[in-house]
Amino acid sequence: MSFTEQFPIVFQALNTGFLQTVKLFFVTLAGSLPLGLLIYFAARSSFKPLALLFRAIIWVVRGTPLMLQLIVIFYLPGMVFGKAIWGSGEKGRFVAAAIAFIFNYACYFAEIYRGGIQGVPIGQTEAGQVLGMSKKQVFFKVTLLQMIKRIVPPMSNEIITLVKDTSLARIIALQEVIWAGQAFLKGSQGIAGEIWPMFFTGVYYLAASGVLTVALGKLEKKLSYFSI
Amino acid sequence: MNKKIFAVIIALCLVVAIAFAACGPKDPTITPDDPGTTAAEDGTTEATVADESDLDYVLNKGVIVVGITNFAPMDYKEQGSDEWVGFDADMAKAFAAELGVQVEFVEIAWDNKVLELDAKSIDCVWNGMTLTDEVLAKMSCSNAYCNNAQVVVVAADKAENYKTVEDCMELSFAVEAGSAGEKMATENGFKATAVIDQASALMEVTAGTADAAIIDSLMADAMIGEGTAYESLTYTVPLNSEQYGVGFRLGSDLTEKLNDFFAKAYAEGKMQELAEKYNVGAALIAQ
Repeated sequence: MSFTEQFPIVFQALNTGFLQTVKLFFVTLAGSLPLGLLIYFAARSSFKPLALLFRAIIWVVRGTPLMLQLIVIFYLPGMVFGKAIWGSGEKGRFVAAAIAFIFNYACYFAEIYRGGIQGVPIGQTEAGQVLGMSKKQVFFKVTLLQMIKRIVPPMSNEIITLVKDTSLARIIALQEVIWAGQAFLKGSQGIAGEIWPMFFTGVYYLAASGVLTVALGKLEKKLSYFSI
Repeated sequence: MNKKIFAVIIALCLVVAIAFAACGPKDPTITPDDPGTTAAEDGTTEATVADESDLDYVLNKGVIVVGITNFAPMDYKEQGSDEWVGFDADMAKAFAAELGVQVEFVEIAWDNKVLELDAKSIDCVWNGMTLTDEVLAKMSCSNAYCNNAQVVVVAADKAENYKTVEDCMELSFAVEAGSAGEKMATENGFKATAVIDQASALMEVTAGTADAAIIDSLMADAMIGEGTAYESLTYTVPLNSEQYGVGFRLGSDLTEKLNDFFAKAYAEGKMQELAEKYNVGAALIAQ
């Protein structure tokens, strides 16, 4: 089969795989951005046992490979309960992968939030208090606002890493774009022994990170209307 | 105040999650690691754990989940089709029909096949699986249904120089991790690198990153030589002869059910018919 005959078949399979990649990316972001803030609160809580527990959790999650976390989260429940809890087929694999990714990224985000919040000068909080704002108002209207502006560059870094990290989900056989590309090496839909589909998946990652770089750059610019 | 209560709730959820993780490492030690463990021992430990039989479990679910890896001619998709076909796939469909349940095919990472069974994310491995000692120790396996061999694959222009096992000693090998090919490499004392699957092993040889690969002869027949995807390769030395079987969870009563089904399908000639259709007729084992 010639390249021109192969291309439409491969292109379609890679698109299907990339859709899975994109889905995992957005689900992870949607889950981990807020969860990261909650984990930050817990880890900085004035209630010591809670704070210590969460610091330990952050240590475990950041200290073990995401690939290992995927394997534990997907396979362990079935072994413990004797029943597959993730649902059958690809959907179950997706749910397990999404949970592992959300939790992992939330722990990284929690640390970035911490850096951002601690970087806001104490004078800003004091100014808020002087103006008679409540603790809640000070956090949401003064600290959080300035924190968001500060964390855009480190968050951009993590977000672009996330696009590529989604490929780790293939360890539990989630059929993302690299899996889809590799299928043609083994033989799929009449095409076997072709390495180019796998190389071609790089184009998808480059396109995705290109779009994200531009979008995050714009966001950074938009947030630079005030400086402190 | 509210924030604190909320935080405590999350904390509790996480403690439960961690408790899980803590139980984790113990589990693998329970499973017999030693292939030498007798089958009787395995059977008894499993029987006490499972309160419902595996057959009932599958019947209640109404679906049997078959773990596969896209491996022509056993389990693969025709061009433009979304349906799994192949000798194994068609037999699995017939077996499911016999049980009166649906069949669902799931692609798995081959390294994790035992994990997948134990985690119940699949109910059987039916994918041209070589019955090695490891497989027999960790799974409840059906009777063998196909003959196979592990063969050495080299570039066709160098094939002349490598006709015996001794000739191959100087080669660097690529083998599939967790495969029968990897085992043959270890047994023969070859220098081998484990890669993710058999196709990657072939790719290593074409790319020159390995001198040779060890793969299944059934796959070699289908994938290498003239008129195939790997025209520049050929296979020379057969290292052993071995057999394919279907794997279920240890202690499963589905195994016996499948053996009965194999016997019946063979007696009716249905198994031979399917084997001819997918060009594995010569390798089929009488049931």
